[in-house]
Amino acid sequence: MSAPFLLILRLGMTLSLYIFMGWAFLLLWRNFKTESELLTSRKTPPLTLSYTDLEKKRKIKHFRTPEITLGRDPHSEIYLENETVSAHHARLSYHHGQWWLEDLSSKNGTMLNGERVETPTIVLGNDEIQCGKIPLTVHLAMADLSPNTQEI
Amino acid sequence: MHSKFKILNSYAALFLGLYSLILSLSPALRARSWDVDYRYAHWLGFFTWLFLNWLAEKHLDTKLPDRDPYLFPLASLFSGWGLLTIWRLLPNFGLRQSLWLALSVAVMLLALRWRDILPTLRRYKYILLSSGLLLTALTLVFGANPLNIEPRLWLNFGGIYLQPSELLKLLLVIYLSAYLADRVPLRDKIFPLIFPTLFLGGIALLLLIVQRDLGTASILVMLFASILYIATGRKRVLLGNAIILLTIAFFGYYFSPTIQTRLAIWFSPWDDPSGFGYQIIQSLMAIANGGLWGRGAGIGSPLFVPVAHSDFIFTAIAEETGLTGTLGLLTLFGIFLSRGMVIALRAPNRFQRILASGLTAYLGIQSLLIIGGNLRLLPLTGVTLPFISYGGSSLLTSYLALLLLLKISDESEGVTPPPFLWSTQPYHFLSAMLLLGLITSALINGWWAVVRGPDLLTRSDNPRRAQADFYVPRGSILDRNNAEINITTGESGNYIREYLYPELSSVVGYTNSVYGQAGIEASLDDYLRGLDGNPATLVWWHHLLYGQPPNGLDLRLSLDIDLQENVDDLLSKHKGALVLINAESGEILVMASHPTFNATKFDASLLSDEDSPLLNRATQGSYPLHQTLDTLFDAPPIEIRLPHAEAAEGFASPLQMAMVAAALSNEGIAPAPRLALAVNTSQSGWVILPALGESATLFSAAEAKQLITTFSGDEEAFWQIISMQEDEENLTWLLAGTPSNWSGTPLALAILLEENNPVLAEEIARALLSSAP
Repeated sequence: MSAPFLLILRLGMTLSLYIFMGWAFLLLWRNFKTESELLTSRKTPPLTLSYTDLEKKRKIKHFRTPEITLGRDPHSEIYLENETVSAHHARLSYHHGQWWLEDLSSKNGTMLNGERVETPTIVLGNDEIQCGKIPLTVHLAMADLSPNTQEI
Repeated sequence: MHSKFKILNSYAALFLGLYSLILSLSPALRARSWDVDYRYAHWLGFFTWLFLNWLAEKHLDTKLPDRDPYLFPLASLFSGWGLLTIWRLLPNFGLRQSLWLALSVAVMLLALRWRDILPTLRRYKYILLSSGLLLTALTLVFGANPLNIEPRLWLNFGGIYLQPSELLKLLLVIYLSAYLADRVPLRDKIFPLIFPTLFLGGIALLLLIVQRDLGTASILVMLFASILYIATGRKRVLLGNAIILLTIAFFGYYFSPTIQTRLAIWFSPWDDPSGFGYQIIQSLMAIANGGLWGRGAGIGSPLFVPVAHSDFIFTAIAEETGLTGTLGLLTLFGIFLSRGMVIALRAPNRFQRILASGLTAYLGIQSLLIIGGNLRLLPLTGVTLPFISYGGSSLLTSYLALLLLLKISDESEGVTPPPFLWSTQPYHFLSAMLLLGLITSALINGWWAVVRGPDLLTRSDNPRRAQADFYVPRGSILDRNNAEINITTGESGNYIREYLYPELSSVVGYTNSVYGQAGIEASLDDYLRGLDGNPATLVWWHHLLYGQPPNGLDLRLSLDIDLQENVDDLLSKHKGALVLINAESGEILVMASHPTFNATKFDASLLSDEDSPLLNRATQGSYPLHQTLDTLFDAPPIEIRLPHAEAAEGFASPLQMAMVAAALSNEGIAPAPRLALAVNTSQSGWVILPALGESATLFSAAEAKQLITTFSGDEEAFWQIISMQEDEENLTWLLAGTPSNWSGTPLALAILLEENNPVLAEEIARALLSSAP
């Protein structure tokens, strides 16, 4: 009889669809694992920013996160309460083995060592950043910190 | 990395190859024989797909080595699945769709050579959008429809039909992405957004009112809202668009009858199952017929659903691959859309990010609209299922969208980091909405296929039942001595019902693929059809294998064809009805209704015949009772698997009066009447069908005896009551029966003549009761 034979084929067809699906999920899972492993193996070198705030106090902040935002928005990691600073002014991010400074279309612009930042630019130790009229100094002193230092 | 993704393509090929093989063999299963014409044509479609898949992968590997590796295998599986489904439904359209697929892949591969395609699109956004609008506007004037019906949404290029509104959706996504990418830094100003909003609302309304293209109009508005929300990240945008959508819906509801009917169909399709609700109800039945495992490629009947190859292709897939197949399809759509969103997040610049999310929204919204429409989750909008439905414009547009997504994913592997994301909310919201839509579709699909499925399939307007009658022998209906009344003859594929005793047509009934069923054929259909009386596992197994029930079971009635023939001879030129009953057991020996008809020569004129030949006067006729009978009458309960008249004061059916007569002959007790005696099961032989009702005491034994004595004549061995009515309607009632001291089978009868003819009534009574055993 044709029917049981066709039933086997039909089940085989459904099975092949689910194998396709299962394989796609397996690849997604592996991809996800590889990506997350890459992220954990990629240690962000600590970065320290020093600047003077409104009350003329010298502030020093240490970071181990790969992304630091600067701006007048209170949620910014570096909160700069100054009218020359835009809400989302600039961003420091670590990728491809370097720290990069990027201007987020701020009104008064971002300067790195006196030059205007137009495209994402690599930042090195002791570089001077200027957001609007606020200057900040970058310290990349890996040796100063032990790898176990907690993020502040 | 990519070799692992090659395996995905092999599984897709295996799946489609098995689909083709099953489709080839399907005629053998339908005919239940190996000696049939097998289907081969669709292999052309399969090999076209195989070749195009290989060719496209090869080119993509060299041109876009860093592309998202999931997108193409998924899209390719969708289009292959759709292509074979179209071949299965309409081979002519399958051939055309194969050519369209070749063209779409060719266009995609040609566009791959164009390195700067994304910046160019961004630069010429106004030209692109205007040409899209112009082409769509042309349909207002030169619009055509391949089927020559409304709506006229196509342009005819020498026999090749293009639907510009498909392309317009894609061009709108490109235009909006470019426009908003340039203006998003001004995100706190509302002014730049007013112009496109008003413009788009206008187009949508125009399309809706002039072209009655509800699908495109709603997709345009929803796409616009999604892209604007993605680009600005503000909830106000969603709120504003909800207001626009409601306004359009409001105006549309009052000015466009299309929307009114669509909504009415959506709310209550069951009100008009053969008219407006036909398509959606057929769709739900097809999904129900698919059930969990599906009928198998080529084995279901998806063509009962109008436009199954285009708007209702999801239904066709659901019927033939079942819930398991559609769950797979929905899951794969989910993976596809989530990859689209990932591509958007990783895109190298703002334009490409908005574009990628816009394209994902476009494919997702359109898929959900039509899948939801097929499942009655949403009102029906006539749009295509991307990659799958028949339609060149739709397929080409889907492949262009795929190309852009692949291109963006390839470019995101560059050096620069992805641009800053203002707010994650719009991405989460859009992804959640699409995912929620897919999950809801899956649940509703399961509801129709599994939970409501069995009920839907037993509906009398399910055409698959009539179709199964051609392939599965129906049980015979026999009289008490196993003489055949209704039988099925012919061979599988051509079974027909034969009515060997046509005079019983109004009692035993008929089963007809056009006019449906009546009488015993209707009320005991489940036995005759093999759904009842067979072991549940056998029914389940046959449904799984063939989508049809096992062979029907024979049914034995209490009628005696010899006596019946006598009565029909005597009544043949008169109007009236007669019921002869075994007064003790309640078995009905004769049930006649005249004038009657011949079920073999059924035609529509019977429906309007003034003599009502279709009416079973014996059970359904409700006739006035004259004094003598009215005082006797105490409506006995009637349950005999035939439609019967409602009990009413002063009126009775011949069957009811026969019960009264039976009570008089049976010491006051009316037995429960029985017409169907037994059913012949494969496992335990003839199994008794018990009476439905219970016997009722109408008179005390003494009362009955006294009454019989009153009515007993001198010449006859039986008692009889004659009642005539000579006012407006001439009626003759005759009740008769054997006396209580009768030694043979106790019999009782009721005769009704729609004329003043006591002589004939007495003659019939004598003929039946004198010869009684």
